Amino acid sequence: MRKYPRWPIHLALVATCFVMLVPFYWVLKTSISGENIFSYPPSIIPRHPNPFYYVDVWYAIPFARFFLNSVIVSVMTVIANVVLNAMAGYSLTQGFRGKTVVLMLFLSCMMIPFQTTIIPAYLITGKLGLLDSYLGLALPMFSTIICIFVFKASFDAIPHSLIDAARIDGLSEWKIIWKVMIPLAKSAMATNVILSFIWSWNNFMWPLIATRSADMQTLPLGLARFLSYQEDSTGALYAFCIMVLAPGILLFLLAQKEFVQGLTSGAAKG
Amino acid sequence: MNDEDFARPKWRRWLLNRFVLVPAVLVLVTIGWNLWVVTHDHGIIRGRVVDAAGAPVEGAEVKLWVFNFATFVVKASTTTKPDGSFEFANNPSHNIQVSADKPGEGRSARVPIRLYFASEDFALKEPLRLANGS
Repeated sequence: MRKYPRWPIHLALVATCFVMLVPFYWVLKTSISGENIFSYPPSIIPRHPNPFYYVDVWYAIPFARFFLNSVIVSVMTVIANVVLNAMAGYSLTQGFRGKTVVLMLFLSCMMIPFQTTIIPAYLITGKLGLLDSYLGLALPMFSTIICIFVFKASFDAIPHSLIDAARIDGLSEWKIIWKVMIPLAKSAMATNVILSFIWSWNNFMWPLIATRSADMQTLPLGLARFLSYQEDSTGALYAFCIMVLAPGILLFLLAQKEFVQGLTSGAAKG
Repeated sequence: MNDEDFARPKWRRWLLNRFVLVPAVLVLVTIGWNLWVVTHDHGIIRGRVVDAAGAPVEGAEVKLWVFNFATFVVKASTTTKPDGSFEFANNPSHNIQVSADKPGEGRSARVPIRLYFASEDFALKEPLRLANGS
């Protein structure tokens, strides 16, 4: 078998990585140097790097409070997504009357943007008395259809004989999910955790509508508020962006192996 | 996860992995930083004022300017001792400036000071130098 040199592929990958990472680098560089984005000639290496724009952000708005709000809402969302999506994904691997209709319904619902369901979501949340609360902020993100399909694809790859064996041993459906399926679908769980965390963390529209007091605002709302305060400070604005992005990037870096496995599981059978 | 991972005790598998170690390191760094802040946030700003020849200036008025939304405003003022030294005790901010002024001796430039946290104790490395016409 003829072996082709691998360096052209690596060269192309390095070039692609460079293109993808330059904007991140630019944001990071500006956050520690405060250089105006329109300065010419642009400098690749930051001039006089310092951390003081981060300090400015910390004291300009109640960053710690917004951060805590974002963490609480995201943790609630992640837990709910893992539990509810695993149950939904497992049910879709079983045969039942109307399964095709349910699948079609799920697929069609994926095409409806959230903006079109905001008014009903707001009215329901209001009727439940959950506006301006952590539960109200997290509730619409409790289950996402894409993540249900990630679990379904992963569960489909598990031999059905394993489920039958568990049933013969007397396990309930609930225990089959948590004792048999989930340990074999860790990559799907990591994908659920990362996706639901990032979507919840970056969510702007729903917290904007569902919160009334400043104390309940999350980081994306804080960013908008910060912009209205200090629109002339490029360095501080970029520092804020880094502070908002950092937890999501850290989580992705921690679980990237499982994340990629989860996205590709079920892509090929056999 | 390979066979070697399963050979390790369960508590080690639960504790010694990146999902536990990275957050643990972050928590430790945060605690360490907060301890440092608590022990160094008395709001003390120290420095010296000298004349153009480098001799200490007594009785110069030193002003503490604090960043207030869009501009700097005078928060406090004090006068220098015989050795030219001065001290502010209650700086509340992280973004300040200090300047010195004495009739007949001149005034110094406003020196910007950026602190790592509000009320951080700080000593100026270079003295404020009075000069006529500054």
